[in-house]
Amino acid sequence: MSYGRVPQDDGRIAPQAKGRPRVMHSARRARRAAWFDPAVVAICALALAPLGCGDLLTTKPPAGTRFDQPLDGLGNGELGDFQDGQTQFRRAFSISEGLGPIFNNVSCASCHSGDGRGIPANTLTRFSRAGDLALAEGGPQIQDKAIPGAEPERLPVGVEVSHRLPPPVFGVGLVEAITDSTILANEDAGDGDGDGISGRVNWVTPPAFVPATEPGAGPGLRVGRFGRKAQVSSLLQQTVDAYHQDMGITSSFRSVENTNPLSNVVVPGLDGAPDPEVGGQAVNDVMQYMRMLAPPSPGEMTPRREQGATLFATATCASCHIPSLRTGAHEIEALADRDVVLFSDLIVHDLGDGLADNRPDGGADGHEWRTAPLWGLRIAREFLNGALFLLHDGRARSVEEAVRLHGGEAAGARDAFVAMSADERAALLDFVESR
Amino acid sequence: MSRARPIANPAARMASLFAAVVLLAAPGVPAATTPRVGPPPASKVTPELSVHGNPEGISWGGHGELRLGHDRVRGTSDPEWFSVGRVNGFARARLADRWRLAGEGTWDRATDDFVLERVELTYRWERTLHAHGGIFPAPLGRTNLSHDAPRNDFAEHSLVATQLVGVPNAMLGLGVRGAAGGGQRPMTYEIDLVTGFSDGLIIDSPGGTRLPIGRNNYGDNNGLPSVVGRIEFHPSRDAEWGIAAQSGPYNQTEIGGMTVDGRRWVHLIVADGATTLAGVRVVAETGVAFVDVPPGLLGLYAEDQWGASVEASRTLWDPLFGSWRQSALRVAVRGDAVDLDRGLRGDSRHRVSASLNLHHRPRAVARFGWYYELQRDRFDNETPHAGVTFTAASYF
Repeated sequence: MSYGRVPQDDGRIAPQAKGRPRVMHSARRARRAAWFDPAVVAICALALAPLGCGDLLTTKPPAGTRFDQPLDGLGNGELGDFQDGQTQFRRAFSISEGLGPIFNNVSCASCHSGDGRGIPANTLTRFSRAGDLALAEGGPQIQDKAIPGAEPERLPVGVEVSHRLPPPVFGVGLVEAITDSTILANEDAGDGDGDGISGRVNWVTPPAFVPATEPGAGPGLRVGRFGRKAQVSSLLQQTVDAYHQDMGITSSFRSVENTNPLSNVVVPGLDGAPDPEVGGQAVNDVMQYMRMLAPPSPGEMTPRREQGATLFATATCASCHIPSLRTGAHEIEALADRDVVLFSDLIVHDLGDGLADNRPDGGADGHEWRTAPLWGLRIAREFLNGALFLLHDGRARSVEEAVRLHGGEAAGARDAFVAMSADERAALLDFVESR
Repeated sequence: MSRARPIANPAARMASLFAAVVLLAAPGVPAATTPRVGPPPASKVTPELSVHGNPEGISWGGHGELRLGHDRVRGTSDPEWFSVGRVNGFARARLADRWRLAGEGTWDRATDDFVLERVELTYRWERTLHAHGGIFPAPLGRTNLSHDAPRNDFAEHSLVATQLVGVPNAMLGLGVRGAAGGGQRPMTYEIDLVTGFSDGLIIDSPGGTRLPIGRNNYGDNNGLPSVVGRIEFHPSRDAEWGIAAQSGPYNQTEIGGMTVDGRRWVHLIVADGATTLAGVRVVAETGVAFVDVPPGLLGLYAEDQWGASVEASRTLWDPLFGSWRQSALRVAVRGDAVDLDRGLRGDSRHRVSASLNLHHRPRAVARFGWYYELQRDRFDNETPHAGVTFTAASYF
């Protein structure tokens, strides 16, 4: 590094002026520098001044414009838990910290972009064989990454395969707080009202590691509400399984490493971390964080969107994408007794052959999918490089494409959409994409 | 933020202890300067500062930096407002006419770790040729060779330095330094066999390939040294151009006697330059890394990384006060960027920095700085970081 130099009196001969040689002395250049440099600094400062300290030091995003913001009304203690959970959610694991031996990604945040949905590159591959989870073949999920010394799993031949795009994680606390009775009220398994829509609850059995005190846990069948086929009833189960299956991180809930059963390479202790690799607290922190994540705010209703909302209802889209469900009691006050505008009934419907994965999951068959909540679509593209990936495997790149891919119980709604004028379709899409 | 590996093996611990003893017992050379006897090193020769010592040829010194900052991430303030930026101690002993021993250790806020930068024995073969061995800074770019806190124009090193090279990056090895060409502007060179990066750049690295986590590798784990070298040219009094490269295996291939992986390589090339244009000192550094990633980690761990920085600085007043001849006021701006995974859109950092510095030449500096950085995750979502800092650094 140099400290710069005072201009030297080099006595350089400048071009002749006014009939005599002129010597540019360093003193003159120094005088010029004396006003020149501060002037440049002042001009730069003035140019930056309009930005203000806020812009120069970053600003908080407006409320409701992100997926990683806490619910309104949380107490100080809950906000502290939220921060702790966010740290854990974003924590990327290294191999020496326990990642693997087989896994899909290194952190929760690595799959859920900005806490929203994932991208096709992060799609998980689930498989089964004749309805069985195929544990002996590496089921129910392919871990396509492996640490040195381990072999990643490969899809066995002849199995049923389902690709699952990581879903958004905001709002899951609200989903959890919706009462069973509210969800059951929308069930119409036998299509008793004859409208062609016959959704049903996916009754599931929570695993033994979920304490009965947890919402969605306890003996017997429970209402499934999480996952693409509503195959999970407990947020804790979802969190523990994500650690174990997606990251290869053992916890006090599931303390045995997930390994590739078809691999010939078996080197114990490969990941270098004793099991369990995280304690129950870290899992609980992440679960609490997700519970307290707020859904983003919907966009303003404009006359065009009002028209779209009406068309959404008349086309019977709202029969499954029910605009609002109400929560019941919850230990987190901000989740209790409030309307949740998620645009879903949280039950499974037959969406036809085109979307079928022919792979049962819990009580849902290969044609059934949980009605996807539409909340957050307004800003989804901002976290996906301007793209949009919809449906269970992200095959639809726009809401319109997703609608046109609906079948089965949703065929009537799809046909009604297709029959609309271009202007009406645009209004409906504007409404949906503003949620 | 990168994290240095803990000193794990007994030999490294002993080396650390040895260095600590040298630092405590010996009376210095400015940090990051190689012994001044003989030829200039491949890095720029820096003046010796703050040397305390006695006539027996033992000298010591150090430098430190305090940091007051208001840092914000997406509008949220970081509660840490005051911290120690760096603390460094160094010592040098003249053992005989041709033998020198130097030690140096640094604690750095960015890594939150103590780094043993130098336990180096040098033999002065000729005035223009030195052999050296021990732990010493790898000649990977000008910043790694000269990064004393009071000499920096910015509170933080460039992203190339911290995210690619891993400054301070010292390795165990041996080699030669020398000068060729003669005259007032010789070409200088250094070539060493070193332990190289460790598998920490993959194994200990959360979220992707991070070379700095595999730095400061004081013990070889794969039976094959890395080669690192640098040449530097001085086309004029104010200009210098250097290029450095390192190549070697990084991974451990056996666990408990069982082979778990084949030998994998990392290559790093760093080019730098400095010149003065119309009174403005312009310094640039760029680097590119190629990493052989185990197949099971492809897609998550980067195979190619790249970074660059350009800074410009100018003295506004020198001296700032007539009665304080050593004072100088300088302004500096820097733009730097690093792409931590060239195979992916995202996983990158871009930053602009500005600093107004009051120097007490050449021993101390007080800086008022500002930075704005965009960090992009692997989805290419950006998170803005910014801050204003006041830092004071001095040799002691």
